[in-house]
Amino acid sequence: MDFKDYYQILGIGEDADFKDIKKAYRKLALKLHPDMNPEEKAGEKFKEIAEAYEVLKNPERRAEYDELRKYGGASQDNFRPPPGWQSSASDFEQGQGQRDFSDFFNSIFGAGGFGGQQSGFHANPNTQRGGFKGQDAEIEVPVFLEETFSDDPKTIQFSMPAIDNGQVKQVTKTIKFKIPIGVRDKQRIRLKGQGGPGHEKGENGDLYLHIQLVPHPLFDVEGHNLVLTLPIAPWEAALGTKVTVPTLTGKINLSVKPNSQTGQKMRVKGKGLRSKNGNGDLIVVIKIVMPEKFTEQENQLWQQLADSQRFNPREQWSNQNV
Amino acid sequence: MSEAMLIVTFEELCQSQQINEEWVFEVIEYGIAEPVSGDSGEDWVFDTNSAHWIRKAIRLHQEFESDWVAIAMVINLLKQNEALQADIQYLKNRLERLS
Repeated sequence: MDFKDYYQILGIGEDADFKDIKKAYRKLALKLHPDMNPEEKAGEKFKEIAEAYEVLKNPERRAEYDELRKYGGASQDNFRPPPGWQSSASDFEQGQGQRDFSDFFNSIFGAGGFGGQQSGFHANPNTQRGGFKGQDAEIEVPVFLEETFSDDPKTIQFSMPAIDNGQVKQVTKTIKFKIPIGVRDKQRIRLKGQGGPGHEKGENGDLYLHIQLVPHPLFDVEGHNLVLTLPIAPWEAALGTKVTVPTLTGKINLSVKPNSQTGQKMRVKGKGLRSKNGNGDLIVVIKIVMPEKFTEQENQLWQQLADSQRFNPREQWSNQNV
Repeated sequence: MSEAMLIVTFEELCQSQQINEEWVFEVIEYGIAEPVSGDSGEDWVFDTNSAHWIRKAIRLHQEFESDWVAIAMVINLLKQNEALQADIQYLKNRLERLS
């Protein structure tokens, strides 16, 4: 493995004091933190700077690292800690946050860097079993609106790190789960024990599925209600009409009242998304649309209408001196 | 088939290597997340989205070494941002359909 130059990663000199180290870390962390920077590369870089900071902020760990760096570590492409190397600064306290350190880090400060410290934890069954729970993972799962009506299980495939013969490898996992009734956009669903592998005898972590309802070509989602735009012709708006409209569970007939307006809403009870307390509603919003072209005869009819009209759509403007 | 769950207990949350009980108490005290049921720590049950914000708050607290007031503010803004993004997307879609 390559020797990691933590000073270079943080962009500081080797004589930097704790204040400089902290300042450099915070500056980079703000720029590269996954919550501030969605790019995948930023996440990788953030891990590097977090690891560099983890080592350099602790005087003991820094001294050990400096020693390795001084005695040729930095010039080695294929770094191995000296034979018999044992860190005395590997006693990480449990729960220090990001534990996803590199092989380089683990080779110096002990595999995993966990050191078995569980102080301050109570009633942790994993401790009693002598292992540590695997990492919880979260993945985004696109779900079509139609799928929320299905009682069949949904199958997803994703890749995640797994330990194989002591090596961390990406493996593809296939999981089946039932979409809970009433699932909402951006909701998280927990699949117990489907996350990262447990260490030693510890349980596996959990997998969280971050549900992303896929935008539908016809329906918008508002809570558990569905919103459908219903295009109608001007004469349908004037005279009223009967229309067949789609829902997610089949077609229904609707009556449009005479003298309807754009934006006017009709509520169809129970034709929205599924929910535990009864289904949501379908809200049909009228949109009056004009044909792109008219025949000569149609134009004459419009002219007749115009000649007889007493309607001023810009009546409100007349009070505004425009 | 895996069972889909929408809740996490306090105990389950604290089994995670990254989370210790004291921090969860801080997160609750500062109103970053609220349990859906339970009167005290050991009985607390969280919905899965609250568990997400608890984990995120703890991670930010560790990674930025910030105090809890600042973290509570950041999480509040992140939640607001998420809600606003969803609203914007919804309104954009509606506008497109009506224009």
